[in-house]
Amino acid sequence: MNSTLTFFSSPAASEEEIMSNIKIQCIAIIGKMNNPLYIKNFTDTHPDLKYHYIAHTSIDVIEERISAGPESADTYLGLLYAMEDLAVYGYLTNTRVKFVVVLSVLDAVIKNADMKNIFRKIHTAYINQVCNPFYNLDGKKSIVSKKFIAAIDSIGKSNSEDISKI
Amino acid sequence: MFSLLLKMSTVLQSASSAITPFFTSLASGDESSNSASLTAGNTIKPVYVNESCLEFLLMEMVDLMFRTTADSENDKEAVFYKLEMLGYQVGQSLVERFTRERPRFVDTLDVVKFICKELWSIIFKKQIDNLKTNHRGVYVLQDNNFRWFVRMSTEAGGADAAKRAVPYLWFPCGLIRGALANLGVISVVVAETNSLPQCTFQIKIAKS
Repeated sequence: MNSTLTFFSSPAASEEEIMSNIKIQCIAIIGKMNNPLYIKNFTDTHPDLKYHYIAHTSIDVIEERISAGPESADTYLGLLYAMEDLAVYGYLTNTRVKFVVVLSVLDAVIKNADMKNIFRKIHTAYINQVCNPFYNLDGKKSIVSKKFIAAIDSIGKSNSEDISKI
Repeated sequence: MFSLLLKMSTVLQSASSAITPFFTSLASGDESSNSASLTAGNTIKPVYVNESCLEFLLMEMVDLMFRTTADSENDKEAVFYKLEMLGYQVGQSLVERFTRERPRFVDTLDVVKFICKELWSIIFKKQIDNLKTNHRGVYVLQDNNFRWFVRMSTEAGGADAAKRAVPYLWFPCGLIRGALANLGVISVVVAETNSLPQCTFQIKIAKS
């Protein structure tokens, strides 16, 4: 049981420096039936519609990656595709829920470990949402929980603010 | 349900010796928000759920469903449905949390194996004793020492006890169905027992 406990602890101290070169533009959560659960735009440079479009197109890419075979069995899917000045990253949970994070392409190199960390946080927020007994998992409505929205906001904002310090 | 369990556990934690780390990690959200209350200094204190409390809750839950259902003597289906749906919800939440660090599943057998080994260990602290399949979508899971039956018996014993234990299998049935459903396997789960504490679960996977 000890092993299960330890991986729920997070190295809080190192987080800030890790996140320094990533600027999240948008976080999208897509349900197992490819229904939109939540989408949040963190910028004012692009309209929301653009991110809806990106989320939609990324579903195809994700499905392509899944059918590629069992050798790519990690839940983290890596860079899905790049589009103009945006880079789209994907993550697929074992329960077929898809997370899509859109970043702006900067000069700095984006490490996979950093992205995994962000997706882990999103997944944690989502798990907490699922474990809420008042949330109907089989419903196709988008998520309206205040706690969940606040969690996603803090993930997006913490990674957008850091960039301004550089 | 879990918050209730936790409250109960904190009250009774010091009073009882039978403490098990059942659902331990469910209680601890890993990121900073929740961990503050769980950490003392740098060491993480596990949140324990008292096993006796859990058993009392399960007992009361079945009893409550019978009491709150009109004409429960003749309408066992309604009670079954209620308990099964409760289990379904819990099963769904459980797998969402416990498959996070796991590579993706290859096929249905992989999913069923996960239920037999990992999920069973998390809930009952043991693995399924026997798994059979006909390779056409039917899986039979046999547990020779089902943990929630260990302390059950009746005066008549034998078949009578087994018969009266049946409603207590409906919640775990739903649990398995919920776990499978959230992993993308739609199924029907039925359970039976001939003599306590042995029981079998039969999973019929719907053809897609």
